[in-house]
Amino acid sequence: MTVINIIFRVEEICKKYDKYDVDKQRELGASGDDAFSRLFNSIDTDIESVVHKAELASTETNRAAAVALNAEVRRTKARLAEDVVKLQKLAVKKVKGLTKEEREARCDLVIALADRIQVIPDGHERQANNEWGGASAPNKNIKFDISEGLDALKNLARDMNEELDKQVPLMDEMETKVDGATSDLKNTNVRLKQQLVKMRSSRNFCIDIILLCVCSELKLVTASTDILIAIVKPMVTS
Amino acid sequence: MSSDPEKMMSKADKMTKLTLTRWSADWRGATELYEQAANGFRASSKYERAKVALEKASQGQVMQSSPWDAAKHMESAAALAQKLSIWNEVADFYRKASELYVECGRAQPASDALGKAARALEDVKPEDAIQLYTDACEILEEDGRDQMAFDLYRACASVYIKLEKFTDAATFFLRLGVAADKCDATNSQCKAYLSAIIVYLYGHDLKQAEKCYNDCSQIDAFLKSDQNRAASRLLTAYNEGDIEEIKKVACSSTVSNLDHAIIKLARKLPTGDVTAVQMNAGDDLDEDDLT
Repeated sequence: MTVINIIFRVEEICKKYDKYDVDKQRELGASGDDAFSRLFNSIDTDIESVVHKAELASTETNRAAAVALNAEVRRTKARLAEDVVKLQKLAVKKVKGLTKEEREARCDLVIALADRIQVIPDGHERQANNEWGGASAPNKNIKFDISEGLDALKNLARDMNEELDKQVPLMDEMETKVDGATSDLKNTNVRLKQQLVKMRSSRNFCIDIILLCVCSELKLVTASTDILIAIVKPMVTS
Repeated sequence: MSSDPEKMMSKADKMTKLTLTRWSADWRGATELYEQAANGFRASSKYERAKVALEKASQGQVMQSSPWDAAKHMESAAALAQKLSIWNEVADFYRKASELYVECGRAQPASDALGKAARALEDVKPEDAIQLYTDACEILEEDGRDQMAFDLYRACASVYIKLEKFTDAATFFLRLGVAADKCDATNSQCKAYLSAIIVYLYGHDLKQAEKCYNDCSQIDAFLKSDQNRAASRLLTAYNEGDIEEIKKVACSSTVSNLDHAIIKLARKLPTGDVTAVQMNAGDDLDEDDLT
């Protein structure tokens, strides 16, 4: 093995175990021990990997693989968006040894991170173009059904329109006849009332009825007394 | 007064017969008795006797110069005749009722009476039914109520189709188109023209169908309609011998909104040999043919 090979291999091993180098981590972040830094770094690495996947998906020739990659990218983006919310909460938290300016800087970092996540391409725009470019069978069927339904609606509407046109003059005629009948009825009622008033007013009519009843009762009474007298008289004379 | 219908009938008959003791007939009293007798007979399901009573009641109303009531009684008598399947009397009674309604100046009830008669006789006496439908349509047309005649035209055309008289059926659809044109009922007009074309095609009469289409295309309302497009596609398909296209048009929504009888005919298209039309089209002389 040559010296250069040894150097390369050592460098690879160092890169692999960099995260265990405490001094180096301290240099990278101002305070690498707190939760914010840890989460920030993990989100950062995830974003790198997602961007890499998105690039792979854009160059992928196999459509099924591209779809799977895009789905993975979208899933990861959604998870990262939730992590950014947690990071936001950690950023506003007061930490020992952290100045106000550093806290504001952390908030700006979180906003920048969120923007980076949003910008990652996940194949939606291309899918949208492809939909219209080559119309898929289900969309065609839906359009066909909609057009058939609209045809049926149009025919129904036209038939209903004609039927209404037919009924309108009939309704007008009926209205005229009913109006005539109503006015005739009113006139008849008025004339009937006038006739009744002319013949007898209601008060006189009641008096007539009462007198008739009284007269008929009187007649009954006189008739019964006559009968009694006729019965009693022979007994008395005898 | 006796409640026995037979006794009422005989009493009423006596009231209308002139004798030495009776110098004038009491039609009013007799009509009342006839009406009551008819109700009594109907209640006891003696329809023959009820029919006779109603006939006489109608005559009584005529003598009292009350044609409306007379017509009503005649219609009831006709309905009973229909129940008893006495078809001659059905037609006669309904016609008489129609004449009485016309006397009252009421065209719609007159036409309705003839329409009822036609419907009753469609299956047993289709020729008479056609005549009745035609007369009903004429009554309405004379009164300027063309729009109310559409259903009668369609019914008449369907009777013609049942009798396989396709030319007459198509003619009736064209008459419907004329009536619709008078009332500006463009939808019915276009549907009527398309129905006529389909009927001609069903009767193997492509030339007539094309002539009909050419005539109807002169009408603006039809020219701009969906029915025109459907007819054009159908005739083109016939000329090219494209059976698939004919079936497609026959199943389209435009044809599906026509009458049931026409839809049935359209679904059976093409009848006869469509390829013959295609071959005839190929017989046209080639431009380069110098013979």
